[in-house]
Amino acid sequence: MTIRETLTRWAGFVALGVRRTVSRATHTARQRIRFSGLGVAVAIALLVMVTGLSVGLATSTTVYDDDIDYWVVPDSESPESPLVATDSPQFSSVHETNDRITAIDGVESSTPVLAQVLRVGTTESDEYVLVIGIINSPALEDVSGLNTDSLTPRDPYYDDGEYNGTWTGEVVLSEGTAELLAVTTNDSVTVAGNRSFTVTAVESHSADVGNVPTALVQLSELQRVTGATTYDQADQFVVSTSSPAVRDGLEGIYPQSSVQSRGEMTASSTRNSDMALALAATALTVALVIGTLFVVTTSGLELVADRQQLAVLSAMGISVTSQIRLVGTQTLVLTGLGGVVGAVCGIGGIWLINAAAVRTVTTEPIAVVSPWFVPYGTGVGLLVGLLSLPFLVVVTRRVAGGKLR
Amino acid sequence: MAGSVASFDEASSSVVVSATDVSKRYTRGTEPGVLGRLLGRQSPPTVRAVDSASLEVRTEEIVGLAGPSGSGKSTLLHLLAGLERPTDGTVTFRGTDLASLSRRERTRHRLEHIGIVFQQFHLLDSLSARANVALPLVETGVGKRERRRRATDLLERVGLGDRLTHRPRELSGGEQQRVAIARALVTDPALVIADEPTGELDTESGRAILQEFERVAENRAVVLASHDRETLDLCDRLLRLRDGAVVDQPSRGGPRE
Repeated sequence: MTIRETLTRWAGFVALGVRRTVSRATHTARQRIRFSGLGVAVAIALLVMVTGLSVGLATSTTVYDDDIDYWVVPDSESPESPLVATDSPQFSSVHETNDRITAIDGVESSTPVLAQVLRVGTTESDEYVLVIGIINSPALEDVSGLNTDSLTPRDPYYDDGEYNGTWTGEVVLSEGTAELLAVTTNDSVTVAGNRSFTVTAVESHSADVGNVPTALVQLSELQRVTGATTYDQADQFVVSTSSPAVRDGLEGIYPQSSVQSRGEMTASSTRNSDMALALAATALTVALVIGTLFVVTTSGLELVADRQQLAVLSAMGISVTSQIRLVGTQTLVLTGLGGVVGAVCGIGGIWLINAAAVRTVTTEPIAVVSPWFVPYGTGVGLLVGLLSLPFLVVVTRRVAGGKLR
Repeated sequence: MAGSVASFDEASSSVVVSATDVSKRYTRGTEPGVLGRLLGRQSPPTVRAVDSASLEVRTEEIVGLAGPSGSGKSTLLHLLAGLERPTDGTVTFRGTDLASLSRRERTRHRLEHIGIVFQQFHLLDSLSARANVALPLVETGVGKRERRRRATDLLERVGLGDRLTHRPRELSGGEQQRVAIARALVTDPALVIADEPTGELDTESGRAILQEFERVAENRAVVLASHDRETLDLCDRLLRLRDGAVVDQPSRGGPRE
């Protein structure tokens, strides 16, 4: 047999397998095929939901801002990276550094960000709130979805290296925080139980940020409240610019830091989260094992039930190798389709999880939905098919060429 | 098509397949293992499905196998097709002893030289009539266009030109059997074997199938097993089997109309 004939035979059996599976799924063996595909789909749907949850957990600490194009973050992979190390790497001397960043050509605005979850309260109640310290400037519009106009620019409490300037006591609350604390503009709240702040504005979050209880304050005042004044610390810088050339200038700001765009920041946050990685890897392993066991069981039983048809193929002169090609193609088509269906169902499941979470436990969606979950689910479905193949090859070899009845 | 007895006796008529003192025994159950023998378990009984049967089938000859159920007709057909190996004796196809071929070689041999028609048609439900007919050509590496052309030609020849895309369940029993005949012929085999080809059909459909078999026998040999008198009347030669043995060859060379 020539190479061309061999290739034609391969293509013929692959096409036949695809055609046969589709025809069986839609006409001649609907229930059996749908049941087999459903098993894979359930495994893939669970995988997609757990992956969405783990990515959501990993990216939830990122401070988003519509106007900000770059983040400068400490390089957490380097042993020397924490310029100031507490429980996570932080930058030091951030006020002075912010002046240097602002001086770079093309930078429209820049601010260090110090984010802390603190108790914010009134005389009647208090709640844990994400308090974000920033240095406001006229060009800075939003941080974490909250408008910064109500904060005095240039952080007046910080005065040339000393924390003895004018204490503003200004705080901008998100609507969610104001509702929780039952306060409004000009009311007083305490942050971390000691200092009194005045609510200068209650702002609604922008739509893509979610509804986390958040408060914006002057950076130096938050540093004072949390004891981060010793080294003038902050977690990251957020820089707004319309010039890509700014990136080069930002990369020289700190020796062990990295400059990331929004997409890179999200990806990096996901990568750096061991918990999320562990969850996603566990989900993948479980989906592969469950999916493979299901396919091996259902397809194996189907092959045994179908032995008469395989015997007929053998009698007609169809070789066992070709029968294996046919069975393999049918299995891969089935698991691939199961993967697509599972991925779509998984995305639907994430929507349900988010809806339920927002209604009952959290104030923002906890799982992430991505269109990449569809090719991911399909790929895992195909992998399930590939992992099932060795067993199905063995079964086909044993069953093929059986006695005709 | 051979028209008379004389034509089979001519030296030019070549033998396609022959069986010489062929026997086939089956064991009922499994042989006892070492422990089974120690415990006194006897070897299971054997059943002789075919007993020292001999025949030759030549090109353009239709040979019928008759006999009651269990007489060994199907087993003898399977031996001639190389589906099974004889326990004793030899089956040769154009001079090649089929027992000397490996399982893979025998499968290839069936693909290239033998067409089989089953009583229950055994078409693949999920494929159209044309795809069923073209199936053996996939194995031979024939391209898609050529497969479709040959399958379409054959289906038109058996009167199913308007049923090309119908699935087996959308066809009557007679139409399904005609699809099966077209499938058996698609590789242009030298020998066609049919096991009760009209067994599942009504009289009228059965007659139509028999007419197909008369056409099939052009340039090839046909062996068919049947209980049906009308089917057996079609044959040039008839072998009666009882308990696996050939007991009678009553109509050797009977002319076909």
